[in-house]
Amino acid sequence: MTADRRGWRMALVPDALINPPPRARAAPDVLKALESSGHGVLQLPPPGEHGLLLAVIADQVAEYAHHGYAVVAVGLAGRPDDGLHWRRLAPLLRRRRVALPPRHIIRAGADPEDEELRLAAFLAAHDLPLEEQRRWRV
Amino acid sequence: MRKVALVANCLLNQNAKVCEGANYRGVVSPVVESLRSRGYELLQLPCPELAFAGVRRWWAVYEQYDTPAYRAHCKRLAQAIAPLIEQHLRRGDELILIGLDGSPSTGVRFTSSKPEWGGRPNRPQDDWEIVPRRGIWIEELEAELARRGLPAIPATGWALDMGRFDEAGSRSDLEQFLDSRASAAPARGKRRAAK
Repeated sequence: MTADRRGWRMALVPDALINPPPRARAAPDVLKALESSGHGVLQLPPPGEHGLLLAVIADQVAEYAHHGYAVVAVGLAGRPDDGLHWRRLAPLLRRRRVALPPRHIIRAGADPEDEELRLAAFLAAHDLPLEEQRRWRV
Repeated sequence: MRKVALVANCLLNQNAKVCEGANYRGVVSPVVESLRSRGYELLQLPCPELAFAGVRRWWAVYEQYDTPAYRAHCKRLAQAIAPLIEQHLRRGDELILIGLDGSPSTGVRFTSSKPEWGGRPNRPQDDWEIVPRRGIWIEELEAELARRGLPAIPATGWALDMGRFDEAGSRSDLEQFLDSRASAAPARGKRRAAK
């Protein structure tokens, strides 16, 4: 088996940013940006009732957050709850004793290059404190 | 009609893999590139092992996970994701499933097997068989879709858990599957039109 290459960082991402409609292709390619920064993806479903699925996602975020992984969220302005189901997800995370992940919101209609730079800066800036990284990431 | 690929959780997030099992930092880029370049949207499946045995779990074979409790857990996850899959199928979207060949849970064409295996893991001495069979999560997911009266979804696996990982070979294998779908599409369209 090869050395483990996991990046220990991941992002909650709305369906609308993983599967942007063709007319939105000019917006920053969030999946590409996450690939480049070494983040994994936790996909959130499109708008709708997804009670059980959101609970399953919250369980997974809790497992990561309690064991040395950094979790952030990247939303899309102009969508209900920025596409992140935050009104449902936040209480589910609190109930699991998870600090709410830092959020970055992509501005719809803004210059895609600016948005790419803002996103890259956000992704680079968020990780666990070094002491926590050393504790878990052996 | 949209083209949608149901993808194993760890193909978008390698942090879900067992200890010592991650081959990428996060996203498995060759899978995503192959799918997106052919117009597929992505729908990430939940990871059953992570939510059951945790992120610090060791590797295991099919028989170790083949318990009533794990199957009940997989069934619950299938019930969580099935409404989204059903919505796509009822709309007439073209769906495919990309699992993880060799995985005890997410294997599609192959899973790992060793009926007598147990106790403390001992790499690299540990050895198991690769057998042609679905993993337990895929079995339970397909059973849930069948309970809902939905058709079987064409499926293949990215060969990450087959022992020695060959990225170029896995990519070529995946692209062959995708391209065979594309070349069969006109025939499928004609059959529908003739009805």
